[in-house]
Amino acid sequence: MKKEQAAPVPFRGFGRFRRPEAGIDPSSAGATRQLVDKIVGKLLFLVALFAIITVFFIIVFLLRDGYQIVLETGVWSFLTGPDWNPAGYNPAYGALPLIVGTVLVTALAMVIAVPLSIGTAIYIAEIAGPRTREVIKPAVELLAGIPSVVYGFFGLILLTDWIRIAFDQPSGSSWLAGSILLAIMAIPTITSVAEDAIGSVPREFREGSLALGATHWQTIRMVVVPGALSGIGAAIILGMGRAIGETMAVLMVTGNAAVIPDPITDVFSPVRTLTGTLGIEMGEVAFGSLHYHALFGVAVVLLVITLVVNSAARLIVSRMQGTARPGPHRALTAVASRITHAASAPFGRVVPPRTSQRGAFLLMSLSVAIVLAALGVILAEIVVNGAGAITWEFLTGTPSDLGREGGIFPAIAGTLYLVGGALAIALPLGIATAVYLIEYTGDGPLTRSIRAAVDLLNGTPSIVFGLFGFAFLVLFMGFGVSMIAGQITLGLMILPTIIRTTEESLRSIPGSLREGSYALGATKWQTISRVVLPPALPGILTGAILSIGRAAGETAPIMFTAVIFSSRHLPSSLTEPVMALPYHLFILTTSVPGASAQKFGTAFVLLLLVLSIYLAAILVRRRYNHAKVM
Amino acid sequence: MTGKSLSGATTVAVAGILVAFLVAAGCVGGQPSDSSGSQQITVTGSTTVLPIAEKAREAFEESHASAGIMVSGGGSSVGIKAVGEGTADIGMTSRDLKPEEAAGYPGIVRHHVADDAILLIVHPGNTVDRLTLDEVRGIYNGTCTNWNQVGGPDTQIVVVGRDSASGTREFFSEYVLESEDFVKTQEEFNSNGGIQQKVSRTPGAIGYVGLGYTEGVKALALDVDGTAVEPTLEKIKSKHYPISRPLYMLTNGEPDGLARQYLDFIMSGEGQEIVASVDYIPVQG
Repeated sequence: MKKEQAAPVPFRGFGRFRRPEAGIDPSSAGATRQLVDKIVGKLLFLVALFAIITVFFIIVFLLRDGYQIVLETGVWSFLTGPDWNPAGYNPAYGALPLIVGTVLVTALAMVIAVPLSIGTAIYIAEIAGPRTREVIKPAVELLAGIPSVVYGFFGLILLTDWIRIAFDQPSGSSWLAGSILLAIMAIPTITSVAEDAIGSVPREFREGSLALGATHWQTIRMVVVPGALSGIGAAIILGMGRAIGETMAVLMVTGNAAVIPDPITDVFSPVRTLTGTLGIEMGEVAFGSLHYHALFGVAVVLLVITLVVNSAARLIVSRMQGTARPGPHRALTAVASRITHAASAPFGRVVPPRTSQRGAFLLMSLSVAIVLAALGVILAEIVVNGAGAITWEFLTGTPSDLGREGGIFPAIAGTLYLVGGALAIALPLGIATAVYLIEYTGDGPLTRSIRAAVDLLNGTPSIVFGLFGFAFLVLFMGFGVSMIAGQITLGLMILPTIIRTTEESLRSIPGSLREGSYALGATKWQTISRVVLPPALPGILTGAILSIGRAAGETAPIMFTAVIFSSRHLPSSLTEPVMALPYHLFILTTSVPGASAQKFGTAFVLLLLVLSIYLAAILVRRRYNHAKVM
Repeated sequence: MTGKSLSGATTVAVAGILVAFLVAAGCVGGQPSDSSGSQQITVTGSTTVLPIAEKAREAFEESHASAGIMVSGGGSSVGIKAVGEGTADIGMTSRDLKPEEAAGYPGIVRHHVADDAILLIVHPGNTVDRLTLDEVRGIYNGTCTNWNQVGGPDTQIVVVGRDSASGTREFFSEYVLESEDFVKTQEEFNSNGGIQQKVSRTPGAIGYVGLGYTEGVKALALDVDGTAVEPTLEKIKSKHYPISRPLYMLTNGEPDGLARQYLDFIMSGEGQEIVASVDYIPVQG
């Protein structure tokens, strides 16, 4: 999720090479080491293939249950059919309203999120002083740490009501509500990636521009932003990927009516997204029915859309890394300069540079204020209502009366079990894959396909992981709804994050350290295990912590694979289902009347858990950033 | 480093990983059958029946300390599938088995544990108190779009219903709508609680829910041949209130062991009191 935490760390490992066995070399020990080296290399290669295999399995298992719908209706009428009415007298399986709903909700969300995020990113990178930056940056990242079911909960309670009253509509569940919520959720992704891109524009460019007499704003507008444009483009597409794949928050606020808004610009119309359809219908659909296959068809469509979006992001990023500036890039630059030009010359006439700078900075401060206000409102709503529910009994007791009484201890423990298991699966696999990719191969076709598979996994919506876990682990492998199924599903979901952060971390270790180690006669594996990995650990740790946060807050992947409504005991084996905080909150919010205090209390505990994990990640990074400076 | 020939190694490796993946998964997957002899059963399925199973479990485990009963939701179809496939000991369903399900799992035995009624709920501020079934049908098929068409204020009707996989929706569709299609602008939620919360916050909304979900909303009386029938327990029990349906627990074959004890407990006086306490209609006594 974050790229820049891989800070190089001073090398501290020379002492380890003075061990005799690394220097003087009895030939038998040398042969053993050679053998170990070969075996380790082969093992790492096998593990690295895991990402490809997972992608392959996901596609196979979605198609295995989804192709029947196409046989029944035909590809074209499935994709463009105007009616989604699987339970009707004449069942209709047209995915068009769902596709349109997804596109509309995502598009409007981007219209809201992009200016706010880019304004915030420029503010953090270029305008804010170091003090302000230290406050705003973590605050924006905390927005990313809020679990999506908490967003949905907030949207259901506050946002839809506000829209209904503020715009005098009969109902607040609407396209607009979904877009606002998705915008808030996409802002942290776009902001942090865009800020990285802006930060990587060389300092000399700015100095040159300022030396020529340009104002701060002119420098930002003419030099910094155009220089970072490709990165900003990638940021927007990554944010879009997050928005398209979001399930739990969206299905709680959009109304889920499978209609195309009429007129198409009616933002107050209810809409239904692809993910929302999976989220609300998957749980109760009859197995093997046409409806069931249609839902898997919907999942395939969703996967294809996210694939396209992510490929676009990859393309843009690779353009950014290349030196060539082809047509699309020039067009993008032209558009950006038009926009910034229009912003600084609002009435067709160029206003004095000082005035336009003041106006632009005001707008950017405003976008920061809006983002922080959104964070504040959500946190305040949950803390104010939730803190009162927290008692010793609530934290340590077991639920009774459908969660209206008693505590949530089994849910807290269950969440920890699920996350721990996911980490135990994903951490070794992820680190091994990253080590193989960075240390063992160059840029061959195989490496490229592994990386593409990792990117694809990274962009796969969490509900698709949930469906895969259900079709493959729960049904095909016969695990049933069980802790192990949830752990594997979550593990696959966080695998790409761990691979990417580990890769970044390994890349930041200077090649000279490796060369020094080889020069002393160490084998490849000795070099990796004793020279490269130790200083890369903090970066790997941050990646792991960020994935814990994501895994702990997710509902969609576990709701069909691992969770149970209520349990008095903690699970005694991996094959038993568990309770989990996000699911407990989802159920209390949607299915248990009269559990208001427990609802807010659970939201508060979940928020506290996930945010403290994120805070830990931010602290780890800050500590090692300081270490780098010293 | 990069010039290695990988083609042979790749094939072997892919095959190896696939085998390892399947074997490892198979080992873990084999475990559930080992524990079936112990004092533990799983109950899964309809979220409508779930409160009964859950409350009954709490009371049952008071007196049977060694028993472990695990209750989970998932929906009627999950319950039928799970008990039919043997992945759960007891299934719960709020609808009858479909013909293909009954054919696929011929061993399933139904236990009628309670009855449920479906209530029509509106915002407490709505002046409408009663509707005929025809008016309800008009609202849900889209011919009636404003409350003033059924004697209420001049407000647009916000139609709220369940998702299309829901057993409750299926029953409502067959009984009230007589299998006509729902109006396309109907807002859909995947739970009774979602509908209740939506209706309690939206002045023009109407929704249908199970019996327990009346907090913050007003339940409408149904106009049957000119007399208003309130959805009270007596009226539902005596079948005067027309929209009610049976709730079932399912076993594969006749139950034995802990499953038998648990089902007997639910059918006992104490169990049926629990049924009433979670706002369903007892079937015994």
